[in-house]
Amino acid sequence: MPARSRPFRQCLAIVAVSLVILATACSAPNKLLVLEWSGYEAEDFWTDFKTANPEAAVTFEIGSSDADVLGKMEQGSQADIFHFYTGWQQFYVDAGLVKEIDTSKLTNWDKVPESFKALGRVDGKQYYLPWDWGFTSILYNTDHVPEVTSWDILFDDTYAEHISMWDDGPGAVTVSSYIHGWDEEAITDAQLAQAEQEWKDQKALNLHYWTDEYADLCPEVKSGDIWVAYAWQGCYADALYDGSQPIAYATPVEGRNSWVGLYGISSKTANYDLALEFLDMKLATLTCSNAVTLFYYGCANQEVMDAIEDPVLIEAFGIDDPSIIESTNFTPPVTDAQRTAWTEMWGRVKAE
Amino acid sequence: MTAGMRGVRRDAIGVGHTRLPLGLIYAAMLAFLYLPIVLLAVFSFNANTSLSFPLRGFTLDWYGQVLDDPALLAAARNSLVVATVAATAATALGFAVSVAVLRFRFAGRRLLLALAAAPLVVPFVVLGVALFLLFNIFGVPRSLLTVALGHSIVALPYASLILLSRIVGLDPALEDAAMDLGASYPTTLRRVLLPLVGPSLLAAWLTSFIVSFDEVALANFLAGGDPTFPVFLYGQLRFAGRLPVLIAMAVLLMTGTIILTLIANRLRSRHQ
Amino acid sequence: MLGRRGSLRFLAVPPFAWLIVLFVAPLLLAILISFRAERGPIDFGSLLQASTVQYEKIVGTPSWLRLLATSAGMALLVAALATLFAFPIAYFLAFRARHRAPIFLILLLVPAATSFLLRVMAWKVLLGGSGAINSFLIWIGVIQDPIGLLLYSQAAVVITLIYVWIPFAALPIYAALQRVDRSHLEAAADLGAGPWSRFWRVTVPLSLPGVLATLFMVFIPTVGEYVTPFLVGGTDGFMYGLLIQDFFSRAGNWPLGSALAVIMLLVTVALVAVALRVVDLRRAVA
Repeated sequence: MPARSRPFRQCLAIVAVSLVILATACSAPNKLLVLEWSGYEAEDFWTDFKTANPEAAVTFEIGSSDADVLGKMEQGSQADIFHFYTGWQQFYVDAGLVKEIDTSKLTNWDKVPESFKALGRVDGKQYYLPWDWGFTSILYNTDHVPEVTSWDILFDDTYAEHISMWDDGPGAVTVSSYIHGWDEEAITDAQLAQAEQEWKDQKALNLHYWTDEYADLCPEVKSGDIWVAYAWQGCYADALYDGSQPIAYATPVEGRNSWVGLYGISSKTANYDLALEFLDMKLATLTCSNAVTLFYYGCANQEVMDAIEDPVLIEAFGIDDPSIIESTNFTPPVTDAQRTAWTEMWGRVKAE
Repeated sequence: MTAGMRGVRRDAIGVGHTRLPLGLIYAAMLAFLYLPIVLLAVFSFNANTSLSFPLRGFTLDWYGQVLDDPALLAAARNSLVVATVAATAATALGFAVSVAVLRFRFAGRRLLLALAAAPLVVPFVVLGVALFLLFNIFGVPRSLLTVALGHSIVALPYASLILLSRIVGLDPALEDAAMDLGASYPTTLRRVLLPLVGPSLLAAWLTSFIVSFDEVALANFLAGGDPTFPVFLYGQLRFAGRLPVLIAMAVLLMTGTIILTLIANRLRSRHQ
Repeated sequence: MLGRRGSLRFLAVPPFAWLIVLFVAPLLLAILISFRAERGPIDFGSLLQASTVQYEKIVGTPSWLRLLATSAGMALLVAALATLFAFPIAYFLAFRARHRAPIFLILLLVPAATSFLLRVMAWKVLLGGSGAINSFLIWIGVIQDPIGLLLYSQAAVVITLIYVWIPFAALPIYAALQRVDRSHLEAAADLGAGPWSRFWRVTVPLSLPGVLATLFMVFIPTVGEYVTPFLVGGTDGFMYGLLIQDFFSRAGNWPLGSALAVIMLLVTVALVAVALRVVDLRRAVA
């Protein structure tokens, strides 16, 4: 008997040990769970916090989109901190999911420009801390595309099979509203139907819709397969550094779009002070600069932005040209019903 | 069947003696399967951060960086543990289902078979969200364990189908004979059935392991703070400079998996 | 000492319990969610307010229903071809490799343990518009413009899926072929059958449980496949599974996503039921 059951017992022991390794989920005073976007969990993006609190255990849950982050927070995610982008501020406040930020305890708060601070305020209260930001505009290959003056170049069949639109319904509606001069916050059914038809017609012009900036869009921009793209400035900087294709970033007559990333503290957190410190350290010099140098995204610490000397980054952020910001449109808040209608519209465009 | 008769017959009929170049077909398939792997391995030694030709020079830097990256190693370890647990659970349950369905008659027999195969129909993301909600309702904290549980469900149909296909071809008389000789049923299973289905158990386990190892949708919803390797990988792709390191890790993992399964196979055949 | 009957409990109850808790319960939850009118936090009170809004939306969108039909058609094609190509591989494993089959099997399966994303990135280096294959073909003058078909098309999705499935498809067939042995074939030879005839009338029928298991194993999940169309489908190779994925992850619209999934589930189950009746699985499994 013993000889035969020994391997069985060994197996059982291995399984038991594995289960113990797996089921490590207890709450401790020095723990923080952050609901983050893929890639942002890297230590470079919270390095100052880590230096100041080497004992703290920070773990990350991944959210794949603003809707996903909201869904997880609504359904009881244990996250202490969550990260999302402009347009979604009201939802968390309405659902009672976010706790006010005590700005008096933030050491880096005075380095944030007022316009960014305002984006994190809802009903007069400071709920969110702005962190990363960037533009959305048209990226184009100057070898094949002489000039871009308007967003409607995405619909130009001269460049068929070399265009790439972002795989996002609300993004598509935003582009349509810029081109036609519609009010983004009040899109009518007729306007939505028109946008739907136009995007269905545009479908054939795309090489494909891109979903991930660095895995998807950038390689094809750099290889010369894509000549016109709806893009953030990340691939612009990437292409400038790479140098294999001549790439430019347009300032369309309708204006660029801009988005800002915001951090909120969950109303259910048990570690408010630690979470607050985490947010504060996000704005610290090294952490903030890493967003700039590693992701080519802007950071809300204005001192960091002013200190940029790399000509590629100055070009990518349009730092030398203040007129760009003046014509830039910021992502407005949009209601749940509108978002549902726009995402369903996109589902019909893709299925056509 | 005398030796003389066998000698006469062997050329006339044979199992597997066809004129088709089966070995060549297998080799061709293997070549196609390994082509991207070989390419990845080549790039893992290439001194360039983007996946493109021409090659720029040999370097072992990327492999060195793998050892220097605790987050990468942790993610790989997480995936290995999750996949091992999920595969073991799925194979054990698949074996239980196969034996129960094929060797017994009971009410609910066809239901069990249908249920075991049913996870195939449900998209991973649907199961992920639903399990996420379920775990929330019952206050089960999300962790690698919950990921493994989810993976064991989606892998169960594969394990079951492989084992069913094998056991259906085995004569129950063998087991009956063992029991007639006084063995208990568990002993019969262990000493008669298990050795016979050895390779299929391995196939079922390996398939379940693979289903779990590269799975992202369930992991995104059911993991707590510890990422599995594919989730981690996807996050790291944004860093242009890290791509070769990720590739080096993937090549190492694959090589490791081959070695481990070959060892497991050696142990299995020695136990017979 | 545990007899046969007593053991049944230990064999049947754990899988049942496992499946009921971790599969049936969440599935029922998903079905309940599909009857919600709007996305938003889900609590038990609201779960009972059923609404067919999502289903009406789906039925009223012919392009989605057509997409389901197309996806099912692609899945059928993939299943048929993968099974066909896997058969010689399984035959090789069962009869040529024999007791060394496990090693050949491991070699076959292990590439699948490498990240699919990385493997597709490697293939894109070869197949893309400015990839190695196109560059080579243009360089030797066979074509002028790059072949778009290889990537971002429906064909690319089907080919990739077949490629991915063949190693797994071979497994149930291999498992079933193991019960073919010399005595069967000798008996057939005794009755006057030639090699082809022996193959068709002895080997193939005995392999049928494995072939059928493979067809179902490949067809069913491929209807809802999303990773491959996501990576190589482009705008033409869109599949129903990706539509579901989009509504869950990008739109956070769990009710609509669940409703789409329920419809796919019903259609797939119906197709499988029809197929089972045609094939009479009972006879093969008996």
